[in-house]
Amino acid sequence: MLKRILMVLLVLSFIGVGLGVSLAADGKGNSRKGKYLYRKNCRTCHVENGKAKELSPVSKTQAQWKTTFADPKKLPCAGEWAKLSDKDLTDIYAYLWGHAKDSPSPAKCK
Amino acid sequence: MADSYRPALSRRGFLKLAGAAGAAAALGGGGLSASKPAQAAGGLRPGFESKFTVCDMCFNKCSAIARVQGGVVQKLDPNPKFLKSRGMLCARGNAGVEQVYSRDRLKYPLLRVGERGEGKFKRISWDEALDIAAEKMKSIGERYTRCGFMFMAGSDMQSSFVHRFAEAYGSYNTLSHESMCLIAGTRAFLDTFGEVPIPDMLYTKYVVMVGANRFESLVTPDSIDLMTAMNNGAKLVVLDPRYTKTAAKADEWFAIRPRTDMAFMLALAHVLIKEKLYDRKFVGEKTYGIEQLAKHVEPCTPQWASEQCDIPAEDIARIARELAKAAPAAMVYPGRRSSNYTDSTQIRRSYAIVNALLGNWDRPGGLTAARKVGLSGGVPFEPPFYENNPEDRIDAGRAKLMFPEEGSFKLARDAVIAGKPYPVKGWFTYHTNPMQTAANRQKTIKMINDMEFMISMDIQMSDTAWMADLVLPSQTYLERQDPCTAQQGSSACACVVMRDPVVAPLYESKPVFWVMQQIARRIGLGEHFDFTIEQFREKQLSGLQGAMDALKRDGVYYNPSKLYGVYEGKIYKTKSHKIELFNSRYAEMGLDPMPVYTPPKAGGYDRFRLVVGRNAVITQSSSQNNSLLVKFQPTNHLWIHPDPAKEMGIKDGDWVWVKGPHGKQRLQAKVTHQTRPDTVYMATGFGVLSTGLKNIYGEGACIAEVLNDDFDGISGNMAMHETWVSVGREAA
Repeated sequence: MLKRILMVLLVLSFIGVGLGVSLAADGKGNSRKGKYLYRKNCRTCHVENGKAKELSPVSKTQAQWKTTFADPKKLPCAGEWAKLSDKDLTDIYAYLWGHAKDSPSPAKCK
Repeated sequence: MADSYRPALSRRGFLKLAGAAGAAAALGGGGLSASKPAQAAGGLRPGFESKFTVCDMCFNKCSAIARVQGGVVQKLDPNPKFLKSRGMLCARGNAGVEQVYSRDRLKYPLLRVGERGEGKFKRISWDEALDIAAEKMKSIGERYTRCGFMFMAGSDMQSSFVHRFAEAYGSYNTLSHESMCLIAGTRAFLDTFGEVPIPDMLYTKYVVMVGANRFESLVTPDSIDLMTAMNNGAKLVVLDPRYTKTAAKADEWFAIRPRTDMAFMLALAHVLIKEKLYDRKFVGEKTYGIEQLAKHVEPCTPQWASEQCDIPAEDIARIARELAKAAPAAMVYPGRRSSNYTDSTQIRRSYAIVNALLGNWDRPGGLTAARKVGLSGGVPFEPPFYENNPEDRIDAGRAKLMFPEEGSFKLARDAVIAGKPYPVKGWFTYHTNPMQTAANRQKTIKMINDMEFMISMDIQMSDTAWMADLVLPSQTYLERQDPCTAQQGSSACACVVMRDPVVAPLYESKPVFWVMQQIARRIGLGEHFDFTIEQFREKQLSGLQGAMDALKRDGVYYNPSKLYGVYEGKIYKTKSHKIELFNSRYAEMGLDPMPVYTPPKAGGYDRFRLVVGRNAVITQSSSQNNSLLVKFQPTNHLWIHPDPAKEMGIKDGDWVWVKGPHGKQRLQAKVTHQTRPDTVYMATGFGVLSTGLKNIYGEGACIAEVLNDDFDGISGNMAMHETWVSVGREAA
């Protein structure tokens, strides 16, 4: 029984690792396209004096962006996220994660 | 009309014209009223106007006051309210008047009619010039994708408009001067502290300065504050293969063997750790990797370093102890230019690590974080995305941790010449001169010759403009209206400056903002430049109440933001969220997580190492032709130590040749003890190709022709000191 539990845990841990990697897509998306898509789709609200809190890649750490993208359903703008394709989201993630506060190339301007 | 490039008027004629043009201009009032310092300065008749400006003679951008009479700038004075320069305007700043009234100003657009580099141009109208530029950008963009056109802008208050244009146009290939200057240092400190520090020189008690020359290559407020700190008892130790003016003013100077700085730093770390002199509370709470570092530097004893650096072991140990005693108001000065070696990032990481052990971060007299200025980004824009573009920059992937928005001139040049991964066939340069500042001039020429079209905008016919197909005359800083710019000055200030014209522009010169706007309109991108400089500034200052009033009243706006303790309660912006003695990201990437020293190769046949350096009257390669500054430095010489000179029969003033791996130059020798026997030096910016630089054409040698173009593998910073040269006396 213990062996079976261990095996299940081992399998789950592999799945977990797999999910993490695909979620991170660390650098796999097109960051430059992501910048364009972020400006087009997100910055419309997330600007200074905008409808939502001002955001830029350096507003969060890489881990925080990862958390945000892992479960966007919690966000007030979840409906907007649903309109974007997986490819677009991967590109936006590549931009935000790749230029996060604690990334090797933090974004210079908003 | 095809003609060789030559001035149409004598210098006197130019000055007369300058006066007439200025006098005819109906300038708005404003500015300052006449003040006592100008009246006391003499030479000015009553009734002159005083107007704020921002100096452009180097990157420091000091606020200054122009004294204007009859529409002509008579004199430049410092702005006593500008704390970043401590109310100082240096020799180069004073010589700024000559930028406007130089006989060598570019006066109107020029189109090449001869071979590239032959100097044959014809005058064309602005309309024609802009139509040609727009057509070439469109055509090259269509045939090679938008990334097929490269953009490069120097340190200038309008350079951001060139980058804005590039982004709207769709090219990822933007470059600046930084990859030939300080990018490895930026990389190193960012990868250690999570940001690039500003040294708090005024309150420091002890400075170890390595590979920096702060009393000649001026940085405000560092240069002035260091002198004040020394008057207040601070100690300065300089390590430099040359006896610079900074070395002359230092308490101690060690003529360190080039490329051994890291060994010295690792030995400092060894002593600090072994003798438990480091700030244990700070290191325990705020850093990551002390155990790994302790193990790493265990063999790096002062005796070991001494054999590498040519510095006595007892001095290395003593300096470590003195640093620790003065800490946290003590530092290894981070420095600026790091275009030295193939491991410059790791060398600068070793500086950063010693600073971390001293616990000087975010504390008085140590290294401070950037202060809040509050300047906004200006008019926002949404550039289009070009689906057919390649995925990344042309130089992407050629260095492990290149900054994607800075790139690497060296690696981009290699990629353009190789035509891989894709062709780049157009180039726009503004206010930058890589023909003189980039190592291996022949390779720069090769790259230009591989281009279909090159546009260069400047105030004079620089060597880079000389190679261009289309040359555009820029306004000088005294004729221009520029956006606001933020400045960091540690204890001096966090401030904003802006620039308005103090005289009407001469000839047909224009600002690059206008050029970008005009070309954008011609290629359907006008919406991204649909604003004025005033509107741009308004947006920039939108979060800073009273800033515009302060700028008009004082020439500077100060944000009284927090200076020390900025990081209290905050994470460090690194992977571990601590100051990284051990860099965990490097470890993951297969890079050395801590700096690993490799001894320099012996010289062999090419027995001398050639080093680059500045002095107080030249800025990179942009100020040598200035009629006032050229009196201080009319040419350059090869500095060579008396021992090898004697051996080779070279006497002071003899003509010598100096041969690097890619080129050879001739110049006169300066036989001097002010350099090591294994190291030679010459000033940058001479040996020009352009006959349009009349004060210096035919003078001296071009260091860029001789320097080897290696690079730092992490940042892509050019590594110019990896140059071994042979030297010989010219036959009589």
